[in-house]
Amino acid sequence: MIVECRIDDLVALIGEKMSLNKLEETLFLLKAEVETVEGNVIEIEVNPDRQDMLSTEGIARAVTSFLGIETGLRKYPVKKSGKQINVKSGLGRIRPFISCSIVKGVRSDDELIKEYMHLQEALTTTHGRNRSKASIGLYVCDDIDFPIAYGPKEPKKIKFVPLGDDVEMDGPTILTDHEKGVQYGSIIKSHKKWPLLYDSSGLVLSLPPIINSNDLGRITTETKNLFVEVTGTHLPTVDQTLNIMTASLADRGGRIESVSVVYPDGSIDETPDFAPELMTMSIHKINAMTGLGLSGSEIVAALEKMGFGARQLKTEKVQVQIPRYRVDILHPVDVIEDIAIGYGFDRIEPAMPQTMTTGKAHPVTRLRNKVRDLMVGVGYQEVMNYIMSSPDLLRDKMLRSRPVVTTGNPKSRDYSVLRNSLLPVLLDFAAQNQHADYPQKLFEVGDIAVPDELMETRIQQIPTVSGVVVDTSVNITELATDIGFLLRNLGLDGVFSYSEREDATFIMGRAADILKSEEPIGMFGEIAPEVLTNLDLKMPVVAFEIYLPRTGEW
Amino acid sequence: MTEGEKAVLRALADQERRVTAAELAEMLGQKNMRVVSILNSLSQKGLASLEIREIASYTLTQEGTEYAENGLPEVRLFRAVLELGGKAKVDEAVAKSGLTPAAKGIAINWSRKNGWLGITKEDGTTVLEVKAEVPETPLEEVLSAISEGRRAIPEGLDSALEEAIERSLANTSMTKVFEAEVTREKRDMIDELLSKEIQGIVNLTSEMLSSESWRGKPFRPYNVELEPAYVNYGKKHPYAEFNDWLREIMIGLGFTEWFGPYVETEFWGHDTLFVPQDHVSREVQDQFRVVSPHDHGDILDDKYYKAVKAVHENGGDTGSKGWDWPFSKEVATRLCLRPHTTPVSMRYLYEHRESPQKMFIIDRNFRAEKLDATHGQEFDQCEGIIMDKDLTLRDLLGYLTSICKGVGIKKMKFKPGQFPFTEPSVETFAKHDKLGWIELGGSGIFRPEVTYPVGIKDTVLAWGIGSGRLYMAAMGINDIRDLFTRDLTWLRRSAFVA
Repeated sequence: MIVECRIDDLVALIGEKMSLNKLEETLFLLKAEVETVEGNVIEIEVNPDRQDMLSTEGIARAVTSFLGIETGLRKYPVKKSGKQINVKSGLGRIRPFISCSIVKGVRSDDELIKEYMHLQEALTTTHGRNRSKASIGLYVCDDIDFPIAYGPKEPKKIKFVPLGDDVEMDGPTILTDHEKGVQYGSIIKSHKKWPLLYDSSGLVLSLPPIINSNDLGRITTETKNLFVEVTGTHLPTVDQTLNIMTASLADRGGRIESVSVVYPDGSIDETPDFAPELMTMSIHKINAMTGLGLSGSEIVAALEKMGFGARQLKTEKVQVQIPRYRVDILHPVDVIEDIAIGYGFDRIEPAMPQTMTTGKAHPVTRLRNKVRDLMVGVGYQEVMNYIMSSPDLLRDKMLRSRPVVTTGNPKSRDYSVLRNSLLPVLLDFAAQNQHADYPQKLFEVGDIAVPDELMETRIQQIPTVSGVVVDTSVNITELATDIGFLLRNLGLDGVFSYSEREDATFIMGRAADILKSEEPIGMFGEIAPEVLTNLDLKMPVVAFEIYLPRTGEW
Repeated sequence: MTEGEKAVLRALADQERRVTAAELAEMLGQKNMRVVSILNSLSQKGLASLEIREIASYTLTQEGTEYAENGLPEVRLFRAVLELGGKAKVDEAVAKSGLTPAAKGIAINWSRKNGWLGITKEDGTTVLEVKAEVPETPLEEVLSAISEGRRAIPEGLDSALEEAIERSLANTSMTKVFEAEVTREKRDMIDELLSKEIQGIVNLTSEMLSSESWRGKPFRPYNVELEPAYVNYGKKHPYAEFNDWLREIMIGLGFTEWFGPYVETEFWGHDTLFVPQDHVSREVQDQFRVVSPHDHGDILDDKYYKAVKAVHENGGDTGSKGWDWPFSKEVATRLCLRPHTTPVSMRYLYEHRESPQKMFIIDRNFRAEKLDATHGQEFDQCEGIIMDKDLTLRDLLGYLTSICKGVGIKKMKFKPGQFPFTEPSVETFAKHDKLGWIELGGSGIFRPEVTYPVGIKDTVLAWGIGSGRLYMAAMGINDIRDLFTRDLTWLRRSAFVA
């Protein structure tokens, strides 16, 4: 994910002057990468696991810790606001969870408002899975008449002016006519009732996860106190998203206040919750994984550089406080990675590998290589083509009707199926090269995919060799001799034979099956003029295709 | 004088007549264009005179070829009448001559026009009568001259040639002909220039060897410094050779090659790798879904399936939180084109659970990207795993270093990275002579959520390199579409040299 920052703003938040080079090096060691710098604007690529770094504030927070300017667990004090939100029953299958915060005294100018919107967008796209799992709304806190209600409403009865618009619309109209409704409508469309957020005087805050109302959801440079809500289908994701958004606003000078979320069963959730999660880890395990031989205090120092709280326990263990905006800590190994990053990837000495094993090529690779060597010996040029191909080529143009593995979301029809034969692909290659010198003797060794209901993934993937000879005049006897040379040197002397074949792809009377002990393993022949015409290939062609054994042994 | 010029001059001097560049080229086994350019330079040096002429050349049409072989129809008809006693009915004469009905009209017309046969009506039938002693026509001579490939038509046959063209028995085409001969005034000087080398045996034969007649005789020296012509013999694809080379390095480092299918269930493609079921990389904009003839596959090991499902839903026995999200069998059995080779690593681990293990694969993967200069929907990955007791992050960096050194990269740097199936994760950057720092690939230590369900508690280091990217850097290719180039001429002229 790309985060766009203003350099002067970022440096001010970091609180220490530094060269662009130093910033770039620091970010590199922190898993982020500088993409472009243009004037005062820097584009930084952040890995999707670090959702907390999707804003200028988040990047500054990580850099400040890493450089030792402000290490350890960040304090985000939360004061109770006494405000309340009531969750109505009936949202269970629709969008059951909501968590909120109030942030007072937030700095806001045009640039900052734009950045808050960017963070909101980035968070709900990735962590919120395009708003289906979590979506964020920001509102002018002072205009809201608390307590707020969050409940299901019949779409037709939902009526408000969407943000940035000037006409009132009802629910169904928003889904069909409003840009955001078209984009995200599918998340709620199938439900009979849709989630609505409204205040005590009946004013609508928003129709989550689609759009805010223009009444309460329009943030301006005058807005100092913000109400933040996150709704969604997965409570941990909802809370994490709220924490990241709230922490960013607090980094901009805001003071956090909590809101009581009252659920229909009477349970009350006081959000946001910034009390760190605790994890106790053994020093031995940390060193067993990293190989760094760190002492307890070195581990604590590395963790604090990564924004964790940490202290060494007497039992050869370290207790770690995990900040509530870190969404990527599922297992102790996630903390161990941060210890390695905090220690510094540039300081880790690679160790000489000790694991002793003998290596070998797959038997089918050895067979393929033998086939390739023989084909080169007979004078063919090796070519390599895409595995994906066009059904028109594989079937219609070849006058064939063999089944083909088909994808449902191709970017173009020309590359929408897996090749079920190499021959058409080589013929197409020749058709593209009618300006190149003749004769053209081409071959490819590669896999084809043939549908097979009995297989685990429903295909037979068959290693195959195909060759074509294209020239002003071609000779089927010479081709048959080439194939004989190939097969005899693959150990099939006296085992293979040719048997006449009827096949629309080839000229009648000039095609044969290649048999190995009566079992067909391939075919050759002179390509029918109808096929050549379909391919727009203006030269006669003789060609063959042989299926090789998957195990590498016949 | 260059060797090339000497060779041409020698051939020209040997001929002692005007010779065309084409004839010289054939004698010398050279390309016509090259001989023309050498003749140009000889003429500039005053050693040869070069003349450029446009000459007409003639080819027979199908009809002309037939007449050249079987004789003109009017002549055949005349002979038939003669053999029938000098006077015959038309049908009898035609039958005797063996002419086709189509040629009958032509034969009658021309034999009458030439004054060889007279036509009269007797008792309602048409009768032919000989009027000349011998049919004389230079046309036959013209046709045979053309069919024998003679360039010049003998003198005095101009009107017959015209007739042949008029009757569509021959076609004309104009060709540019370069003709040269040695400059007569400089003959002595030229002979001296070439004299040292002009004598000697040309071809050593089997007969000379048995009779020993070669003894005491000099051999005529050849120009062995000529640039050889480009030829199209059989050879391998440079990218395939590059991958062969990578494979050799991997085997040398003790890795065993493995195989896995292009079409995978999402179970192997993502679930076993702890990629959440709602991850963006499983969406249609990122990965190809297979929809027909089958859209779902099988999960063969129910015990393994249950362990993977538990890890996703609540971490199972791994100490992880898991994804805290219901796990769907429908999603797990969905078929896709594998987006990376990592499922092959999982399939290998599934079958090899005892340490130590080192496995690799170099093969094709698929991403639903629109094809352009930097995005390919197919790419090759060279990927491997190392499983052993007590392996660490430092060992991973050690392996990456030896792999990089194996492919000739001297300078590299490591960056923390992120992949759903490894933790810690590492990205490797390599210093390329021309391109600067390029991203080489990803690696890491398989997460417990990945290894525990298979029953593996030892450390598994995993790494992958984009082999296409490395090849592009090695070959100076900027456009990813040129990996699988459709340009045969480029392929014939390109070679991968490690």
